[in-house]
Amino acid sequence: MGIKVVPRHGKSFKDKLFLPAIAGGMKTTFKHFVKNLKDVDNLKTMQYPEVQPDDLNERYRGVHRLTKWEDETEKCVACFMCATACPAECIFIEAEERFDEHDEKRPKEFKIDLLECVFCGYCVEACPCDAIRMDTGIFSFTGSTREEFVLDKQALMANERSKDLSND
Amino acid sequence: MNIAVIIVNIALAAFLAVGLTPLFVWWERRVSGFMQDRTGPNRCNIGPLRLGGLIQSFADMLKLIFKEDFTPTHIKYKFFFTIAPVIVFLCSFLTFATIPFADNLVLDGQAFIMQAVPNELGIMWFLAFAGLAIYGIILGGYSSQNKYGLLGSIRASAQVISYEAAMALAIISMLLSYGSIHLTDMVNAQAGTFFGVIPMWGIFIQPLAAIIFIVCAFAETNRAPFDIAEGESEIVAGYHTEYSAMRFGLFQVGEYAAMSASSAIIVTLFFGGYQIPWLDTQTIQSNINYVILAVMILLPIKIFIFTRWMKKNNKSKGEDRSRELETKILTIAFWSIAGIIVATLGVFLATGLGENGVNIITAILQIGTFLIKFFMMAFVYIWVRWTVLRFRYDQLQMLGWKVLLPLALLNIVVTATFIVVGGS
Repeated sequence: MGIKVVPRHGKSFKDKLFLPAIAGGMKTTFKHFVKNLKDVDNLKTMQYPEVQPDDLNERYRGVHRLTKWEDETEKCVACFMCATACPAECIFIEAEERFDEHDEKRPKEFKIDLLECVFCGYCVEACPCDAIRMDTGIFSFTGSTREEFVLDKQALMANERSKDLSND
Repeated sequence: MNIAVIIVNIALAAFLAVGLTPLFVWWERRVSGFMQDRTGPNRCNIGPLRLGGLIQSFADMLKLIFKEDFTPTHIKYKFFFTIAPVIVFLCSFLTFATIPFADNLVLDGQAFIMQAVPNELGIMWFLAFAGLAIYGIILGGYSSQNKYGLLGSIRASAQVISYEAAMALAIISMLLSYGSIHLTDMVNAQAGTFFGVIPMWGIFIQPLAAIIFIVCAFAETNRAPFDIAEGESEIVAGYHTEYSAMRFGLFQVGEYAAMSASSAIIVTLFFGGYQIPWLDTQTIQSNINYVILAVMILLPIKIFIFTRWMKKNNKSKGEDRSRELETKILTIAFWSIAGIIVATLGVFLATGLGENGVNIITAILQIGTFLIKFFMMAFVYIWVRWTVLRFRYDQLQMLGWKVLLPLALLNIVVTATFIVVGGS
């Protein structure tokens, strides 16, 4: 392995003149300007509210959802693992007894305060039953009052897996 | 008649110096956006009219006017604090007063100088007021009693001593070759051509002086790459840190007025001013019918190209169809303007023009030429701003004193020798 000598710039007359370098830079910016002026579709920006981002991937952490069994009941067994793992302490669970064939415990109420949530995904990692996921792909959640940002069990169960993600 | 010409001149100067600020702000944003592959502001609209985002500048201006004009309590000399933006604005505005928009207009045997203040000071007026504008900046930063403001002022002072000498010397070599301080004479000296091909513009007569002057003019307007007095990444906002609302707006307008004035003076000194290349005033006046015919043919072609470009690029995304509506409205508006102009020119062709008419048409054509060159130069200002990085202020002093000043002196010596030996 030989020694790589990095060439030093700035000593030659052409470099000291500055003007060729400035002209080169101006050529680059002008090329971009003309390209974009000729056809605005060359612009890299998305016109956001009309055009939605299409590059969501499997690892994207959006708004949470509670997964369900085939009979539309929650998989959650109210073990409090997610609430314990949560660094922002934004998950509030109230447990009750369950009498169907799936389990013996269920959440009576399951609330997530999105204003507190830091979207770290630790709740998803902590869950032993795969009952909470963040694959809805919802990246902008809006509301006009603070109360609207506290999602209850119905809202979390109504969220579905994002259509942009593959379903296997 | 007398009054009308003066009013037209003053209105034109005021419009070019101050009225164009929203347009230049819009250009600055859209051009920089396009150069960086993004869109720039394009949402603000009145009904379907968006004008490519131009409305945004008017909205911003309205915002600045209606904001609270806040003076911090720690400022001792409120008078100086208040007068500083006014000095910047007024001086930049007055700089425009001696730019000739067209050749001397002869109406009924009486000649009018086509500039806002019809005096003979010419380039001296420009030097005086362009030099004064910087004192507003220095005063503004100094009187705001703020460390960042003071730093901005110090930088502005350091800047002013580094470029002004070289700029004046570059102008002196131009004075030697043109033999006049009057700007109309200078522009008329740039009529003709070299070898019948290259227009005899200042930049071809004195390329070195042109480069020195353009570099110094960039420094004089306080724009990138020489916006060290503002230096927002180092000293917050420099001299206008303590300013708010329309006082800040006046600084902003002053900056763009200075940019307009500099583009105008560069065009006048080095790019032939109002001279149409290869066509001097006499040639236009003797061939007025052909010139009118050429305009009548070229204008619809230009409008056609523009409307086709607009139809291609002004497309809505999503449900909203307002951009298509806007394209339709603007297409109709542009075509009707073109139709009216072509029809008027046709009437002139058919009925023939008197001597006054020929002179007025020539003046309008020359104003149009001046405006095209002026806008191109303003575009260069914006283009350079978004390409070149900011100089440090010791680098600017190094450039001013060690490079530009000796070069300007050398240029004067060479020019003077050439003129004495050449005997002209």
